[in-house]
Amino acid sequence: MRVFSFHLMPYPGLPGTYEGPAWVTCPNELFDPELGHRIYNRYLDELVYAEELGFDGVCVNEHHQNAYGLMPSPNLIASILARETQRVRIAVVGNALPLYDPPTRVAEEFAMIDNISGGRLIAGFVVGGGPEYYSFSINPAHARERFAEAHDIIIKAWTEPGPQEFIGKHYRLRFLNTWPRPLQRPIPEIWIPGAGSIETMEFVARHRYAYMGIPYFHRRVFERTFRMFRDACEREGYHADPMQSGWLTPIYVAGSDEQARAEFEPHFWYWVRKLLPGITITPPGYTSLRSLENQMKGAASFAVNLRTWDEVVEGRYAIVGSPDTVYAQLEECLTAFGTGNLLGLFQLGTLPAEETRRNLELFATEVLPRLRARFPEGHPVLDPDAEVR
Amino acid sequence: MVGLATSFVTTRVGRVQLRRGGGGPPVLYLHSATGEGEGLAFLDALAERFEVLAPMFPGFGESEGIEQIDDMDDAVFHLLDLLEVLGLEAPAVVGLSLGGWMAVELATRYPDRVGALVLVNPVGLYLKGAEIKDIFGRSPGEMALDLFADQDHPVARMMHSMDAFRNDLAITTEIPFEAVKPVYQAMAATARLGWNPYLHNPKLPKRLWRVTSPTLVVRGEQDTLVPAPHARYYAEHIEGARLELIEAAAHLLPLEKPVELAGLVTEFLETELSEED
Repeated sequence: MRVFSFHLMPYPGLPGTYEGPAWVTCPNELFDPELGHRIYNRYLDELVYAEELGFDGVCVNEHHQNAYGLMPSPNLIASILARETQRVRIAVVGNALPLYDPPTRVAEEFAMIDNISGGRLIAGFVVGGGPEYYSFSINPAHARERFAEAHDIIIKAWTEPGPQEFIGKHYRLRFLNTWPRPLQRPIPEIWIPGAGSIETMEFVARHRYAYMGIPYFHRRVFERTFRMFRDACEREGYHADPMQSGWLTPIYVAGSDEQARAEFEPHFWYWVRKLLPGITITPPGYTSLRSLENQMKGAASFAVNLRTWDEVVEGRYAIVGSPDTVYAQLEECLTAFGTGNLLGLFQLGTLPAEETRRNLELFATEVLPRLRARFPEGHPVLDPDAEVR
Repeated sequence: MVGLATSFVTTRVGRVQLRRGGGGPPVLYLHSATGEGEGLAFLDALAERFEVLAPMFPGFGESEGIEQIDDMDDAVFHLLDLLEVLGLEAPAVVGLSLGGWMAVELATRYPDRVGALVLVNPVGLYLKGAEIKDIFGRSPGEMALDLFADQDHPVARMMHSMDAFRNDLAITTEIPFEAVKPVYQAMAATARLGWNPYLHNPKLPKRLWRVTSPTLVVRGEQDTLVPAPHARYYAEHIEGARLELIEAAAHLLPLEKPVELAGLVTEFLETELSEED
């Protein structure tokens, strides 16, 4: 299996008195650039440190006009990482394709990062979250169509000789001929994050890309989501490879279960109560009816509704504890989900630099080697007992 | 009281649900983003004097074909198709809110296909300083405050009770999908026409002079969704148009004041249609 350190680059400075959403309408006067200067550099250090500690890769992602994640351009961060690291895979999970016009910009920037990093890019494509359709005023009714067209443009630009032409419904490019081309041939590994949309799963299965279960749901929802993805692969006529899926989860390791909870819990609640509100807004037409129906089944279990620590532990919303506890819970979830990629959030909410570093170190020395031994690459991750059809 | 009967007609984009009844000169009713039409006392009252035809726009109710309609151009062509299918040469067109916008788009492009025009709390314009409030990101309870003067109206009360669910997926209780589905579909169809530009056509003001039919603009005095200058702008820029205000009513006039609105519309249409003869 492969283990990644994922950073959201959250804004830790929302005042305690602020009760509004962290998205779309969160007043940007609340952003303090002096704090911004410090945290961008600190967060970059934390990502770079993951390479030193032996992680397989690092992940960044794209969000706009919000306090939850300060990477409107994850490609800027990824390009810094391309220079500051030498070995790790750099996963941009992903670029929100419908927000780019023309989306050749994505083909160009990803190819730059792949060239600079020596072929270490994992290219993520995402439809974009609901809030982004408010923040960009892009018609949510066209989200899926634009995503599909933008994807085709990028793949065409990377794999077919230019100049060529692309005439679609939303994008019309008379001269499609992007420079540079990616270093990895034929194309970089592609990851698609999803929140339970059936269309997204089918799209990923059809193209044999990898599906990342990104949002923060009860483990039952993840089990169902990854099973639905494997089923979608079966319908395409093949068995999903464990490397074709990944699970994102907050992780915090300390000396004991009690110490871990005491150090982590307040920062977790800042994330739940200050940074998640607003993330779930769903613009009309953004999701098909059948996907909406599917997503509503899990909606009540979304992390924004969490109230008690017992709920967090029971649903595995965060994996927190001593090295033994963290290993046992990760092992249990990974075998139930069958995911070959683990994307850990080692910094969350207001978690300070010192705790984040200790967390990364303890995980890398006490947990990571055991996960690697338990899930050697090329072997199935899924526990057959969980694969009940 | 004359009731409306539901039937289906086939248009180029698919099957369209139609409520129809009454007798007399034809009146085409274009509904708002709420997709009203079923059991609407306002339409029943109109049907006493007119033949009322109330189609559901694609994406609303049981009408098909919204995926073939991307913008107001497509919407107007769909209305033209409907006129053909229904055998209407130049009916009176009455539209509420989104339906009012569609009616005026039809009347600017094909003035001879509209015999008379009634715009009830119409959207369609951008007026700086008098912006239309948001309909795509607010909770039903917040919306109800703008849509109704009387917060005890049964629909307003229902909207307030839905606030537990909010307009997002951050819900704490499982809601039946069937309860959400029609609202989501209606708003998704509206988004296709009015997400951006938001519920307006920037070209509409310079086209209003093209409307040649007699026109009545009706405003609910307490409509806070669409501020007062909108109705005034239409009335001032459409040749010969008349503006009427209805007291103690907000945006969803046909729901709140069915009798008063039907009285105004009937009087206007009877005067205008008899003058034409």
